[in-house]
Amino acid sequence: MTKKEHSKRLFLEMTVIVLIAAVVGIIWNHRLLLDVYTGNPAEAKSAPAVSREPVHTLVPAGLEQVKDLFARNEAVFVDAREASVFSKGHIKGAFSYPIGEFDAKLAEFRGRVAKDAILVIYCNGFGCQDSKLLGEKLVEQGYNQILLFEGGFPEWKDAGLPTEGPG
Amino acid sequence: MEGRRSPHRRSGIMKMKTKQHILLALRIGLGVVFVYAGILKITEPVAFAGSVAAYNILPYYLNYLVAATIPWVEAACGLLLIVGYRVKAAAGIVAGMNVLFIVLLASTIMRGLDIDCGCFRQGGGKTPAWVAILRDILFLSVALILISARKERRFSYR
Repeated sequence: MTKKEHSKRLFLEMTVIVLIAAVVGIIWNHRLLLDVYTGNPAEAKSAPAVSREPVHTLVPAGLEQVKDLFARNEAVFVDAREASVFSKGHIKGAFSYPIGEFDAKLAEFRGRVAKDAILVIYCNGFGCQDSKLLGEKLVEQGYNQILLFEGGFPEWKDAGLPTEGPG
Repeated sequence: MEGRRSPHRRSGIMKMKTKQHILLALRIGLGVVFVYAGILKITEPVAFAGSVAAYNILPYYLNYLVAATIPWVEAACGLLLIVGYRVKAAAGIVAGMNVLFIVLLASTIMRGLDIDCGCFRQGGGKTPAWVAILRDILFLSVALILISARKERRFSYR
């Protein structure tokens, strides 16, 4: 085998290995990829659509659902990320409520947001925990219509939806 | 004195054997590292997508696509290196990936991004970019050694 043929064969082998591995990865993660593509977190399928009935639990919400609530101005958006991150860019009109400052900001939050309001809590997406933790604490405070926007700020921004701040 | 090898030739054989053993150790070592790195990320695709997103390069959806595929390529190459099948091709892919990782890590330093490299376990402690770059240079060197190694009968390099 000449050197050229050898390199060609090596390149072909590399391509085949990468393709097979990538296809296996896509098949393995097909549900996740599909959910992200359609803007629906996996758990959202079993979750009821937003209603005025109290849900008492945290409900994951996809981009489409959150977008509708934003357009109809029906929900209060709550940003669970740190204040420094919030100031770099956030969903338009969102309330900055960093999980680390829960007690310090609770009085202000209660003063501004009614208990029966629909809350959309988000953080940095990609499985970030802050929105869930904040949601749990707000449930304890008597808020009972809480949606967790799992795509968070990255998905919102990427979809070209209204943001505020330099980012 | 027939049948006895000359000291010169014997030392030559010893050297070759040592070299083969070193190559074997490098091949399996690199393989284990990549299988480990791959599996850690395969089990946490969403968290890894977050690590990829932190590099601020790809649009939202592509972060997930990269997170769904790259760990499988890593694990596949690692496995091939361990079992000794298509070693050069696997080492070539590993080398290519490491060049890409080094470029991406360098870009985070240049852009002043203080992020975890997301190389192995997701979340937890932050590995500084320069440490990750040095580590990747090491992996790249090993991969290049494996690619340039001549075909051996005993360890079936191709």
